[in-house]
Amino acid sequence: MTDDVMRFFAAWMLTHEVADEGLKAAVLRGDEGGADGMSGGPDAFVDGLAAMVAEEKENLKRDLEARARGEKVSIEAEPDPAFEELRFEVGELRGRLDNIESLLETLVRRADAGK
Amino acid sequence: MASRRLTIAGTVLRRLIAALPAAGFGLASAHRRRAAFARAWRLAFEDLGPAFIKLGQLISVRPDEFSDELVAEMQSMQDAVPPLPAEAIRAVIRAEFAREPEELWATFDDVPVASASIAQVHRATLARAYTPVWGTELPTGTALAIKVVRPGAAESIRADVAIARSLAERVARMRFARRFDPVALLDEFASTVDRELDLRQEGRFADRFTFDFRDDPKVVAPRIVWPTSTARVLTMEFMTGWRLNQLEEARAGGVDCYALAVHGATAFMRQVFVYGRYHADLHPANLFVTPDNTIAYLDFGIVGFLTSEERMNITQVMAALVYRDPERALTYSANLGVHVPADRVATVREGLGELLGGTFRPDGTRDFAHFGLGFLKLLGENNVQIPSGYGLLIKSLATVEGVARALYPEIDIVETAKPFTTRILGQAMGDPARLHERIPAAIRAAMRELVA
Ligand SMILES: Nc1ncnc2c1ncn2[C@@H]1O[C@H](COP(=O)(O)OP(=O)(O)OP(=O)(O)O)[C@@H](O)[C@H]1O
Ligand SMILES: [Mg+2]
Repeated sequence: MTDDVMRFFAAWMLTHEVADEGLKAAVLRGDEGGADGMSGGPDAFVDGLAAMVAEEKENLKRDLEARARGEKVSIEAEPDPAFEELRFEVGELRGRLDNIESLLETLVRRADAGK
Repeated sequence: MASRRLTIAGTVLRRLIAALPAAGFGLASAHRRRAAFARAWRLAFEDLGPAFIKLGQLISVRPDEFSDELVAEMQSMQDAVPPLPAEAIRAVIRAEFAREPEELWATFDDVPVASASIAQVHRATLARAYTPVWGTELPTGTALAIKVVRPGAAESIRADVAIARSLAERVARMRFARRFDPVALLDEFASTVDRELDLRQEGRFADRFTFDFRDDPKVVAPRIVWPTSTARVLTMEFMTGWRLNQLEEARAGGVDCYALAVHGATAFMRQVFVYGRYHADLHPANLFVTPDNTIAYLDFGIVGFLTSEERMNITQVMAALVYRDPERALTYSANLGVHVPADRVATVREGLGELLGGTFRPDGTRDFAHFGLGFLKLLGENNVQIPSGYGLLIKSLATVEGVARALYPEIDIVETAKPFTTRILGQAMGDPARLHERIPAAIRAAMRELVA
Protein backbone atom coordinates (compact mmCIF):
# COMPACT_ATOMS: atom_id res chain seq x y z
CA MET A 1 0.00 0.00 0.00
CA THR A 2 2.73 2.43 1.01
CA ASP A 3 4.64 1.47 -2.10
CA ASP A 4 1.63 2.09 -4.28
CA VAL A 5 1.24 5.57 -2.87
CA MET A 6 4.93 6.26 -3.31
CA ARG A 7 4.74 4.97 -6.88
CA PHE A 8 1.78 7.19 -7.51
CA PHE A 9 3.62 10.26 -6.26
CA ALA A 10 6.68 9.20 -8.20
CA ALA A 11 4.73 8.80 -11.41
CA TRP A 12 3.16 12.17 -10.86
CA MET A 13 6.56 13.67 -10.28
CA LEU A 14 8.02 12.02 -13.35
CA THR A 15 5.29 13.44 -15.56
CA HIS A 16 5.70 16.85 -13.96
CA GLU A 17 9.47 16.73 -13.99
CA VAL A 18 10.01 19.81 -16.07
CA ALA A 19 7.08 21.72 -14.74
CA ASP A 20 7.54 21.89 -11.00
CA GLU A 21 10.63 23.84 -10.01
CA GLY A 22 9.30 24.27 -6.47
CA LEU A 23 9.19 20.54 -5.93
CA LYS A 24 12.72 20.11 -7.27
CA ALA A 25 13.95 22.67 -4.80
CA ALA A 26 12.14 20.79 -2.03
CA VAL A 27 13.86 17.58 -3.06
CA LEU A 28 17.24 19.28 -2.95
CA ARG A 29 16.51 20.66 0.51
CA GLY A 30 15.20 17.27 1.61
CA ASP A 31 18.33 15.53 0.37
CA GLU A 32 20.56 17.99 2.13
CA GLY A 33 18.55 17.56 5.30
CA GLY A 34 19.53 13.90 5.09
CA ALA A 35 18.25 11.80 7.93
CA ASP A 36 17.39 15.00 9.75
CA GLY A 37 14.56 15.68 7.32
CA MET A 38 11.84 15.97 9.91
CA SER A 39 13.31 17.87 12.79
CA GLY A 40 12.96 21.24 11.12
CA GLY A 41 9.16 21.28 11.35
CA PRO A 42 6.39 20.64 8.86
CA ASP A 43 8.21 22.23 5.91
CA ALA A 44 11.24 20.07 6.43
CA PHE A 45 8.92 17.09 6.65
CA VAL A 46 7.45 17.86 3.25
CA ASP A 47 10.97 18.29 1.85
CA GLY A 48 11.97 14.94 3.30
CA LEU A 49 8.93 13.27 1.81
CA ALA A 50 9.63 14.89 -1.53
CA ALA A 51 13.17 13.52 -1.44
CA MET A 52 11.84 10.03 -0.74
CA VAL A 53 9.41 10.30 -3.63
CA ALA A 54 12.26 11.49 -5.84
CA GLU A 55 14.18 8.37 -4.98
CA GLU A 56 11.16 6.27 -5.92
CA LYS A 57 10.91 8.24 -9.14
CA GLU A 58 14.43 7.23 -10.10
CA ASN A 59 13.42 3.58 -9.53
CA LEU A 60 10.37 4.08 -11.69
CA LYS A 61 12.48 5.63 -14.44
CA ARG A 62 14.84 2.67 -14.36
CA ASP A 63 11.89 0.30 -14.47
CA LEU A 64 10.39 2.05 -17.47
CA GLU A 65 13.73 1.93 -19.30
CA ALA A 66 14.16 -1.73 -18.38
CA ARG A 67 10.67 -2.50 -19.59
CA ALA A 68 11.46 -0.78 -22.88
CA ARG A 69 14.42 -3.14 -23.24
CA GLY A 70 12.07 -6.04 -22.47
CA GLU A 71 13.63 -6.89 -19.08
CA LYS A 72 11.90 -7.76 -15.84
CA VAL A 73 11.34 -4.73 -13.60
CA SER A 74 11.91 -4.45 -9.87
CA ILE A 75 8.31 -3.95 -8.83
CA GLU A 76 7.30 -7.11 -10.68
CA ALA A 77 10.33 -9.11 -9.56
CA GLU A 78 9.27 -8.61 -5.93
CA PRO A 79 7.27 -11.52 -4.59
CA ASP A 80 3.58 -10.88 -4.08
CA PRO A 81 3.06 -10.24 -0.32
CA ALA A 82 -0.37 -11.89 -0.27
CA PHE A 83 1.12 -15.01 -1.81
CA GLU A 84 4.00 -15.04 0.67
CA GLU A 85 1.62 -14.57 3.58
CA LEU A 86 -0.34 -17.58 2.40
CA ARG A 87 2.82 -19.61 2.05
CA PHE A 88 3.76 -18.69 5.60
CA GLU A 89 0.35 -19.72 6.90
CA VAL A 90 0.70 -23.08 5.22
CA GLY A 91 4.14 -23.46 6.79
CA GLU A 92 2.69 -22.55 10.18
CA LEU A 93 -0.09 -25.11 9.81
CA ARG A 94 2.46 -27.74 8.88
CA GLY A 95 4.44 -26.83 12.02
CA ARG A 96 1.31 -27.26 14.12
CA LEU A 97 0.55 -30.61 12.54
CA ASP A 98 4.13 -31.78 13.18
CA ASN A 99 3.66 -30.71 16.77
CA ILE A 100 0.31 -32.43 17.25
CA GLU A 101 1.53 -35.58 15.54
CA SER A 102 4.41 -35.89 17.97
CA LEU A 103 2.05 -35.25 20.88
CA LEU A 104 -0.11 -38.10 19.63
CA GLU A 105 2.95 -40.36 19.45
CA THR A 106 3.79 -39.48 23.03
CA LEU A 107 0.26 -40.32 24.17
CA VAL A 108 0.35 -43.68 22.38
CA ARG A 109 3.74 -44.44 23.89
CA ARG A 110 2.45 -43.60 27.36
CA ALA A 111 -0.64 -45.73 26.89
CA ASP A 112 1.55 -48.65 25.75
CA ALA A 113 3.86 -48.22 28.72
CA GLY A 114 0.86 -48.18 31.05
CA LYS A 115 -0.39 -51.58 29.82
CA MET B 1 1.38 -20.65 51.82
CA ALA B 2 1.86 -19.28 55.32
CA SER B 3 5.28 -20.90 55.62
CA ARG B 4 6.35 -19.62 52.20
CA ARG B 5 5.32 -16.18 53.35
CA LEU B 6 7.65 -16.57 56.32
CA THR B 7 10.46 -17.81 54.08
CA ILE B 8 10.10 -14.78 51.87
CA ALA B 9 10.06 -12.33 54.75
CA GLY B 10 12.91 -14.23 56.45
CA THR B 11 15.13 -14.31 53.37
CA VAL B 12 14.71 -10.62 52.73
CA LEU B 13 15.39 -9.75 56.38
CA ARG B 14 18.43 -12.01 56.57
CA ARG B 15 19.94 -10.43 53.46
CA LEU B 16 19.18 -6.90 54.60
CA ILE B 17 20.69 -7.53 58.02
CA ALA B 18 23.77 -9.03 56.40
CA ALA B 19 24.11 -5.82 54.41
CA LEU B 20 24.16 -3.61 57.51
CA PRO B 21 27.96 -3.58 57.95
CA ALA B 22 28.49 -2.66 54.30
CA ALA B 23 25.91 0.08 54.72
CA GLY B 24 27.92 1.41 57.69
CA PHE B 25 24.94 0.63 59.93
CA GLY B 26 23.06 3.42 58.27
CA LEU B 27 25.87 5.94 58.65
CA ALA B 28 27.58 5.54 55.28
CA SER B 29 26.86 7.94 52.44
CA ALA B 30 23.39 7.67 50.93
CA HIS B 31 24.77 6.19 47.75
CA ARG B 32 26.82 3.52 49.56
CA ARG B 33 23.88 2.67 51.75
CA ARG B 34 21.52 2.32 48.82
CA ALA B 35 24.08 0.25 46.91
CA ALA B 36 24.54 -2.14 49.85
CA PHE B 37 20.80 -2.63 50.30
CA ALA B 38 20.23 -2.97 46.56
CA ARG B 39 22.77 -5.79 46.55
CA ALA B 40 20.98 -7.41 49.49
CA TRP B 41 17.68 -7.24 47.62
CA ARG B 42 19.22 -8.87 44.58
CA LEU B 43 20.72 -11.70 46.65
CA ALA B 44 17.39 -12.23 48.39
CA PHE B 45 15.58 -12.33 45.03
CA GLU B 46 18.09 -14.87 43.73
CA ASP B 47 17.55 -17.04 46.81
CA LEU B 48 13.79 -16.86 46.41
CA GLY B 49 13.80 -18.21 42.88
CA PRO B 50 12.06 -17.73 39.53
CA ALA B 51 9.17 -15.41 40.44
CA PHE B 52 11.47 -12.99 42.19
CA ILE B 53 14.11 -13.18 39.51
CA LYS B 54 11.49 -12.23 36.93
CA LEU B 55 10.28 -9.47 39.20
CA GLY B 56 13.86 -8.25 39.45
CA GLN B 57 14.06 -8.10 35.68
CA LEU B 58 10.92 -6.06 35.62
CA ILE B 59 12.48 -3.66 38.14
CA SER B 60 15.64 -3.50 36.03
CA VAL B 61 13.75 -1.76 33.24
CA ARG B 62 11.88 0.66 35.51
CA PRO B 63 14.29 3.45 36.34
CA ASP B 64 11.17 5.62 36.56
CA GLU B 65 10.04 3.82 39.71
CA PHE B 66 13.19 2.58 41.41
CA SER B 67 16.56 3.94 42.48
CA ASP B 68 19.53 3.84 40.12
CA GLU B 69 21.39 1.51 42.48
CA LEU B 70 18.54 -0.99 42.57
CA VAL B 71 18.09 -0.90 38.80
CA ALA B 72 21.82 -1.49 38.23
CA GLU B 73 21.88 -4.34 40.72
CA MET B 74 18.82 -6.03 39.21
CA GLN B 75 20.35 -5.72 35.75
CA SER B 76 23.32 -7.76 36.87
CA MET B 77 20.97 -10.58 37.84
CA GLN B 78 19.39 -10.94 34.43
CA ASP B 79 20.73 -14.22 33.27
CA ALA B 80 22.80 -15.67 36.07
CA VAL B 81 20.75 -18.27 37.88
CA PRO B 82 22.37 -21.33 39.44
CA PRO B 83 21.83 -24.19 36.96
CA LEU B 84 19.72 -27.22 37.76
CA PRO B 85 21.37 -30.63 37.50
CA ALA B 86 20.94 -32.24 34.08
CA GLU B 87 18.90 -35.06 35.58
CA ALA B 88 16.13 -32.62 36.57
CA ILE B 89 15.99 -31.31 33.01
CA ARG B 90 16.06 -34.81 31.55
CA ALA B 91 13.12 -35.68 33.78
CA VAL B 92 11.07 -32.83 32.27
CA ILE B 93 11.92 -34.00 28.75
CA ARG B 94 11.02 -37.57 29.66
CA ALA B 95 7.70 -36.43 31.12
CA GLU B 96 6.88 -34.40 27.99
CA PHE B 97 7.80 -36.99 25.32
CA ALA B 98 7.95 -40.36 27.13
CA ARG B 99 11.41 -40.69 25.55
CA GLU B 100 15.05 -40.10 26.41
CA PRO B 101 16.70 -36.96 25.00
CA GLU B 102 19.00 -39.27 22.99
CA GLU B 103 15.97 -40.72 21.21
CA LEU B 104 14.75 -37.26 20.26
CA TRP B 105 18.02 -35.71 19.14
CA ALA B 106 21.29 -37.02 17.71
CA THR B 107 23.18 -35.64 20.72
CA PHE B 108 22.17 -33.90 23.93
CA ASP B 109 24.66 -31.95 26.05
CA ASP B 110 24.20 -32.26 29.80
CA VAL B 111 26.12 -29.05 30.46
CA PRO B 112 23.66 -26.14 30.15
CA VAL B 113 24.36 -23.20 27.86
CA ALA B 114 22.45 -20.87 30.13
CA SER B 115 20.21 -21.06 33.11
CA ALA B 116 17.65 -18.29 33.21
CA SER B 117 14.75 -17.47 35.47
CA ILE B 118 12.12 -19.63 33.87
CA ALA B 119 14.06 -21.96 31.67
CA GLN B 120 17.36 -23.73 31.23
CA VAL B 121 18.94 -24.07 27.80
CA HIS B 122 20.95 -27.07 26.57
CA ARG B 123 22.71 -27.81 23.31
CA ALA B 124 21.71 -30.71 21.08
CA THR B 125 21.92 -31.71 17.42
CA LEU B 126 19.16 -32.45 14.96
CA ALA B 127 18.61 -36.18 14.31
CA ARG B 128 16.63 -35.87 11.06
CA ALA B 129 16.52 -33.06 8.48
CA TYR B 130 13.56 -30.74 9.11
CA THR B 131 11.87 -28.07 7.02
CA PRO B 132 10.97 -25.23 9.37
CA VAL B 133 7.90 -23.03 9.01
CA TRP B 134 9.87 -20.54 6.92
CA GLY B 135 13.13 -20.78 5.00
CA THR B 136 15.46 -23.52 3.89
CA GLU B 137 15.66 -27.03 5.32
CA LEU B 138 17.70 -27.60 8.46
CA PRO B 139 20.04 -30.49 7.65
CA THR B 140 20.72 -33.47 9.93
CA GLY B 141 23.26 -32.48 12.56
CA THR B 142 22.14 -28.82 12.78
CA ALA B 143 23.14 -27.34 16.13
CA LEU B 144 20.09 -26.88 18.35
CA ALA B 145 19.18 -25.04 21.52
CA ILE B 146 16.70 -26.87 23.73
CA LYS B 147 14.87 -24.52 26.08
CA VAL B 148 13.27 -26.40 28.98
CA VAL B 149 10.99 -24.83 31.58
CA ARG B 150 12.40 -25.38 35.05
CA PRO B 151 10.42 -28.09 36.85
CA GLY B 152 7.91 -26.58 39.20
CA ALA B 153 8.55 -23.09 37.81
CA ALA B 154 4.93 -22.63 36.83
CA GLU B 155 3.49 -23.66 40.17
CA SER B 156 6.03 -21.87 42.33
CA ILE B 157 5.76 -18.67 40.34
CA ARG B 158 1.99 -18.63 40.54
CA ALA B 159 2.11 -19.27 44.28
CA ASP B 160 4.76 -16.60 44.84
CA VAL B 161 2.86 -14.06 42.80
CA ALA B 162 -0.23 -14.71 44.90
CA ILE B 163 1.73 -14.10 48.11
CA ALA B 164 3.53 -11.07 46.74
CA ARG B 165 0.19 -9.70 45.63
CA SER B 166 -1.35 -9.97 49.06
CA LEU B 167 1.72 -8.26 50.55
CA ALA B 168 1.50 -5.60 47.87
CA GLU B 169 -2.14 -4.98 48.66
CA ARG B 170 -1.15 -4.15 52.21
CA VAL B 171 1.63 -1.86 51.06
CA ALA B 172 -0.83 -0.17 48.73
CA ARG B 173 -3.23 0.37 51.63
CA MET B 174 -0.49 2.02 53.65
CA ARG B 175 -0.14 4.45 50.75
CA PHE B 176 3.45 5.45 51.34
CA ALA B 177 4.28 4.28 47.84
CA ARG B 178 1.78 6.59 46.29
CA ARG B 179 3.23 7.15 42.89
CA PHE B 180 3.35 3.56 41.83
CA ASP B 181 0.81 0.85 42.21
CA PRO B 182 2.48 -2.41 43.29
CA VAL B 183 -0.68 -4.42 42.78
CA ALA B 184 -0.99 -3.31 39.17
CA LEU B 185 2.71 -4.04 38.63
CA LEU B 186 2.23 -7.57 39.97
CA ASP B 187 -0.91 -8.20 37.93
CA GLU B 188 0.89 -7.11 34.79
CA PHE B 189 3.74 -9.35 35.85
CA ALA B 190 1.48 -12.35 36.50
CA SER B 191 -0.14 -12.14 33.09
CA THR B 192 3.18 -11.88 31.22
CA VAL B 193 4.61 -14.77 33.20
CA ASP B 194 1.58 -16.92 32.46
CA ARG B 195 2.06 -16.33 28.78
CA GLU B 196 5.77 -17.06 29.02
CA LEU B 197 5.15 -20.44 30.55
CA ASP B 198 3.76 -21.94 27.35
CA LEU B 199 6.80 -22.09 25.11
CA ARG B 200 4.77 -22.94 22.00
CA GLN B 201 3.39 -19.42 22.02
CA GLU B 202 6.93 -18.09 22.08
CA GLY B 203 7.90 -20.46 19.26
CA ARG B 204 5.10 -19.19 17.04
CA PHE B 205 6.27 -15.60 17.56
CA ALA B 206 9.84 -16.58 16.70
CA ASP B 207 8.70 -18.12 13.40
CA ARG B 208 6.53 -15.12 12.65
CA PHE B 209 9.49 -12.85 13.30
CA THR B 210 11.65 -14.83 10.87
CA PHE B 211 8.90 -14.35 8.29
CA ASP B 212 8.45 -10.62 8.97
CA PHE B 213 12.18 -10.06 8.47
CA ARG B 214 12.56 -12.43 5.51
CA ASP B 215 13.84 -9.61 3.30
CA ASP B 216 16.43 -8.47 5.83
CA PRO B 217 19.43 -10.81 6.00
CA LYS B 218 20.89 -8.81 8.89
CA VAL B 219 18.10 -9.63 11.33
CA VAL B 220 17.57 -13.25 12.32
CA ALA B 221 15.76 -15.36 14.91
CA PRO B 222 16.03 -19.05 15.71
CA ARG B 223 13.58 -21.20 13.76
CA ILE B 224 11.55 -23.76 15.64
CA VAL B 225 11.75 -27.53 15.24
CA TRP B 226 8.13 -28.41 15.98
CA PRO B 227 8.18 -32.20 16.25
CA THR B 228 10.34 -32.00 19.38
CA SER B 229 8.59 -29.04 21.01
CA THR B 230 5.85 -28.93 23.65
CA ALA B 231 4.54 -26.39 26.14
CA ARG B 232 7.58 -26.98 28.35
CA VAL B 233 10.27 -27.87 25.79
CA LEU B 234 11.17 -25.68 22.84
CA THR B 235 13.62 -26.91 20.19
CA MET B 236 15.20 -24.27 17.98
CA GLU B 237 18.25 -23.42 15.93
CA PHE B 238 21.31 -22.67 18.00
CA MET B 239 22.52 -19.12 17.45
CA THR B 240 26.22 -18.45 17.76
CA GLY B 241 27.30 -14.99 18.76
CA TRP B 242 28.32 -12.53 21.40
CA ARG B 243 26.19 -11.09 24.14
CA LEU B 244 26.12 -7.33 24.43
CA ASN B 245 28.43 -7.54 27.43
CA GLN B 246 31.07 -9.20 25.26
CA LEU B 247 31.36 -6.39 22.77
CA GLU B 248 35.13 -6.12 22.96
CA GLU B 249 35.40 -9.69 21.72
CA ALA B 250 32.78 -9.00 19.08
CA ARG B 251 34.71 -6.00 17.80
CA ALA B 252 37.88 -8.06 17.72
CA GLY B 253 35.91 -10.64 15.74
CA GLY B 254 35.23 -8.04 13.06
CA VAL B 255 31.69 -6.98 14.02
CA ASP B 256 30.71 -3.48 12.91
CA CYS B 257 28.96 -2.32 16.05
CA TYR B 258 27.86 1.04 14.70
CA ALA B 259 26.11 -0.46 11.68
CA LEU B 260 24.48 -3.08 13.88
CA ALA B 261 23.24 -0.52 16.40
CA VAL B 262 21.57 1.54 13.70
CA HIS B 263 20.22 -1.51 11.95
CA GLY B 264 18.96 -3.05 15.16
CA ALA B 265 17.15 0.11 16.18
CA THR B 266 15.65 0.40 12.71
CA ALA B 267 14.50 -3.21 12.89
CA PHE B 268 12.73 -2.42 16.13
CA MET B 269 10.99 0.61 14.62
CA ARG B 270 9.88 -1.61 11.78
CA GLN B 271 8.32 -4.02 14.26
CA VAL B 272 6.46 -1.19 15.97
CA PHE B 273 5.39 0.92 13.02
CA VAL B 274 5.00 -1.58 10.21
CA TYR B 275 3.93 -4.83 11.84
CA GLY B 276 2.46 -3.64 15.11
CA ARG B 277 4.09 -6.65 16.79
CA TYR B 278 7.28 -6.16 18.71
CA HIS B 279 9.76 -8.00 20.90
CA ALA B 280 9.03 -6.42 24.28
CA ASP B 281 11.73 -8.12 26.36
CA LEU B 282 14.91 -6.83 24.80
CA HIS B 283 17.24 -6.97 27.74
CA PRO B 284 20.86 -7.53 26.73
CA ALA B 285 20.79 -11.30 27.32
CA ASN B 286 18.09 -11.70 24.68
CA LEU B 287 20.12 -10.29 21.83
CA PHE B 288 23.27 -11.58 20.11
CA VAL B 289 25.55 -10.09 17.53
CA THR B 290 26.88 -12.84 15.32
CA PRO B 291 30.25 -13.29 13.59
CA ASP B 292 28.65 -12.71 10.16
CA ASN B 293 27.45 -9.26 11.26
CA THR B 294 23.83 -10.05 11.92
CA ILE B 295 21.61 -9.42 14.93
CA ALA B 296 19.96 -12.47 16.42
CA TYR B 297 16.81 -11.94 18.47
CA LEU B 298 16.13 -14.55 21.15
CA ASP B 299 13.40 -15.19 23.68
CA PHE B 300 10.03 -14.09 22.33
CA GLY B 301 8.41 -14.60 25.72
CA ILE B 302 6.91 -11.11 25.81
CA VAL B 303 5.47 -9.60 22.65
CA GLY B 304 3.63 -6.28 22.36
CA PHE B 305 0.76 -5.73 19.94
CA LEU B 306 -0.55 -2.57 18.29
CA THR B 307 -3.58 -2.05 16.06
CA SER B 308 -3.17 0.11 12.97
CA GLU B 309 -5.12 2.84 14.76
CA GLU B 310 -2.64 2.72 17.64
CA ARG B 311 0.28 2.73 15.23
CA MET B 312 -1.01 5.91 13.63
CA ASN B 313 -1.36 7.61 17.01
CA ILE B 314 2.10 6.48 18.07
CA THR B 315 3.50 7.85 14.84
CA GLN B 316 1.97 11.19 15.74
CA VAL B 317 3.38 11.10 19.27
CA MET B 318 6.78 10.34 17.75
CA ALA B 319 6.36 13.25 15.36
CA ALA B 320 5.48 15.41 18.39
CA LEU B 321 8.76 14.39 19.93
CA VAL B 322 10.56 15.35 16.75
CA TYR B 323 8.75 18.72 16.48
CA ARG B 324 8.84 19.25 20.26
CA ASP B 325 5.13 19.86 20.26
CA PRO B 326 3.51 19.01 23.65
CA GLU B 327 -0.01 19.74 22.41
CA ARG B 328 0.30 17.16 19.67
CA ALA B 329 1.80 14.62 22.07
CA LEU B 330 -1.14 15.03 24.46
CA THR B 331 -3.81 14.90 21.76
CA TYR B 332 -2.55 11.65 20.31
CA SER B 333 -1.68 10.13 23.68
CA ALA B 334 -5.33 10.68 24.61
CA ASN B 335 -6.30 8.55 21.60
CA LEU B 336 -4.06 5.86 23.07
CA GLY B 337 -5.95 5.90 26.36
CA VAL B 338 -3.88 8.41 28.34
CA HIS B 339 -6.60 10.59 29.80
CA VAL B 340 -5.38 13.64 31.65
CA PRO B 341 -8.08 15.14 33.91
CA ALA B 342 -9.09 18.62 32.80
CA ASP B 343 -7.64 20.36 35.87
CA ARG B 344 -4.26 18.76 35.26
CA VAL B 345 -3.88 19.41 31.56
CA ALA B 346 -2.02 22.69 31.99
CA THR B 347 0.45 21.20 34.48
CA VAL B 348 1.08 18.15 32.33
CA ARG B 349 1.47 20.21 29.18
CA GLU B 350 4.00 22.43 30.87
CA GLY B 351 5.95 19.48 32.26
CA LEU B 352 5.87 17.83 28.87
CA GLY B 353 7.16 20.99 27.21
CA GLU B 354 10.11 21.01 29.59
CA LEU B 355 10.81 17.36 28.91
CA LEU B 356 10.67 17.89 25.16
CA GLY B 357 13.09 20.78 25.44
CA GLY B 358 15.47 18.87 27.67
CA THR B 359 15.76 15.58 25.83
CA PHE B 360 19.10 16.37 24.24
CA ARG B 361 22.41 15.08 25.48
CA PRO B 362 25.51 17.23 25.45
CA ASP B 363 26.54 15.63 22.14
CA GLY B 364 23.28 16.80 20.53
CA THR B 365 21.63 13.39 20.26
CA ARG B 366 18.16 12.89 21.66
CA ASP B 367 17.72 11.00 24.89
CA PHE B 368 14.58 8.95 24.46
CA ALA B 369 14.74 7.22 27.82
CA HIS B 370 14.89 10.61 29.52
CA PHE B 371 11.83 11.72 27.62
CA GLY B 372 9.84 8.49 27.76
CA LEU B 373 10.46 7.64 31.38
CA GLY B 374 10.11 11.28 32.37
CA PHE B 375 6.75 11.32 30.64
CA LEU B 376 5.58 8.20 32.51
CA LYS B 377 6.75 9.76 35.76
CA LEU B 378 4.95 13.01 34.96
CA LEU B 379 1.72 11.13 34.26
CA GLY B 380 2.15 9.14 37.47
CA GLU B 381 2.65 12.30 39.52
CA ASN B 382 -0.55 13.71 38.11
CA ASN B 383 -2.51 10.55 38.87
CA VAL B 384 -3.04 9.68 35.25
CA GLN B 385 -3.65 5.98 34.61
CA ILE B 386 -1.13 4.64 32.14
CA PRO B 387 -2.55 1.98 29.77
CA SER B 388 -0.31 -1.06 30.08
CA GLY B 389 0.38 -1.23 26.33
CA TYR B 390 1.57 2.38 26.32
CA GLY B 391 3.90 1.78 29.24
CA LEU B 392 5.25 -1.38 27.64
CA LEU B 393 6.04 0.41 24.39
CA ILE B 394 7.83 3.30 26.09
CA LYS B 395 9.81 0.90 28.24
CA SER B 396 10.69 -1.16 25.19
CA LEU B 397 11.82 1.89 23.25
CA ALA B 398 13.91 3.00 26.20
CA THR B 399 15.45 -0.47 26.44
CA VAL B 400 16.17 -0.55 22.72
CA GLU B 401 17.87 2.79 23.11
CA GLY B 402 19.94 1.41 25.97
CA VAL B 403 20.88 -1.67 23.97
CA ALA B 404 21.70 0.35 20.85
CA ARG B 405 23.79 2.77 22.89
CA ALA B 406 25.71 -0.12 24.36
CA LEU B 407 26.69 -0.95 20.78
CA TYR B 408 27.28 2.62 19.77
CA PRO B 409 27.16 5.40 22.37
CA GLU B 410 26.35 8.28 20.01
CA ILE B 411 23.28 6.74 18.38
CA ASP B 412 20.10 8.85 18.28
CA ILE B 413 17.17 6.48 18.52
CA VAL B 414 14.53 9.02 17.51
CA GLU B 415 16.49 9.49 14.31
CA THR B 416 15.92 5.87 13.35
CA ALA B 417 12.16 6.30 13.77
CA LYS B 418 12.00 9.21 11.33
CA PRO B 419 11.93 7.38 8.02
CA PHE B 420 9.04 5.32 9.39
CA THR B 421 7.06 8.24 10.74
CA THR B 422 7.66 10.14 7.49
CA ARG B 423 6.51 7.18 5.45
CA ILE B 424 3.45 6.47 7.57
CA LEU B 425 2.32 10.08 7.71
CA GLY B 426 2.99 10.33 3.98
CA GLN B 427 0.89 7.25 3.41
CA ALA B 428 -1.92 8.70 5.50
CA MET B 429 -1.81 11.82 3.35
CA GLY B 430 -2.33 9.66 0.29
CA ASP B 431 -5.01 7.49 1.85
CA PRO B 432 -8.27 8.17 -0.01
CA ALA B 433 -10.37 7.91 3.16
CA ARG B 434 -8.29 10.53 4.90
CA LEU B 435 -8.06 12.77 1.88
CA HIS B 436 -11.80 12.68 1.80
CA GLU B 437 -11.86 13.77 5.42
CA ARG B 438 -9.50 16.63 4.87
CA ILE B 439 -10.10 18.11 1.47
CA PRO B 440 -12.50 20.94 2.13
CA ALA B 441 -15.99 20.60 0.81
CA ALA B 442 -15.46 23.43 -1.63
CA ILE B 443 -12.65 21.63 -3.38
CA ARG B 444 -14.73 18.47 -3.48
CA ALA B 445 -17.51 20.38 -5.13
CA ALA B 446 -15.06 21.83 -7.64
CA MET B 447 -13.76 18.36 -8.40
CA ARG B 448 -17.27 17.08 -8.94
CA GLU B 449 -17.71 19.86 -11.46
CA LEU B 450 -14.55 18.84 -13.25
CA VAL B 451 -15.36 15.14 -13.33
CA ALA B 452 -19.01 15.54 -14.27
N1 LIG C 1 18.50 -20.35 20.18
C1 LIG C 1 19.50 -20.09 21.03
N2 LIG C 1 20.78 -20.16 20.64
C2 LIG C 1 21.78 -19.91 21.51
N3 LIG C 1 21.61 -19.57 22.81
C3 LIG C 1 20.36 -19.47 23.26
C4 LIG C 1 19.24 -19.74 22.40
N4 LIG C 1 18.12 -19.56 23.14
C5 LIG C 1 18.52 -19.21 24.37
N5 LIG C 1 19.86 -19.16 24.47
C6 LIG C 1 20.65 -18.80 25.64
O1 LIG C 1 19.91 -19.08 26.79
C7 LIG C 1 19.62 -17.90 27.54
C8 LIG C 1 18.23 -17.98 28.16
O2 LIG C 1 17.27 -18.18 27.15
P1 LIG C 1 15.92 -17.37 27.17
O3 LIG C 1 16.21 -15.93 27.25
O4 LIG C 1 15.12 -17.82 26.03
O5 LIG C 1 15.31 -17.92 28.55
P2 LIG C 1 14.34 -17.20 29.59
O6 LIG C 1 14.21 -18.09 30.75
O7 LIG C 1 13.09 -16.81 28.90
O8 LIG C 1 15.15 -15.95 29.98
P3 LIG C 1 14.65 -14.66 30.67
O9 LIG C 1 15.39 -14.64 31.95
O10 LIG C 1 15.08 -13.59 29.73
O11 LIG C 1 13.17 -14.75 30.82
C9 LIG C 1 19.79 -16.77 26.55
O12 LIG C 1 20.13 -15.57 27.17
C10 LIG C 1 20.91 -17.30 25.67
O13 LIG C 1 22.17 -17.08 26.26
MG1 LIG D 1 15.95 -14.32 28.15
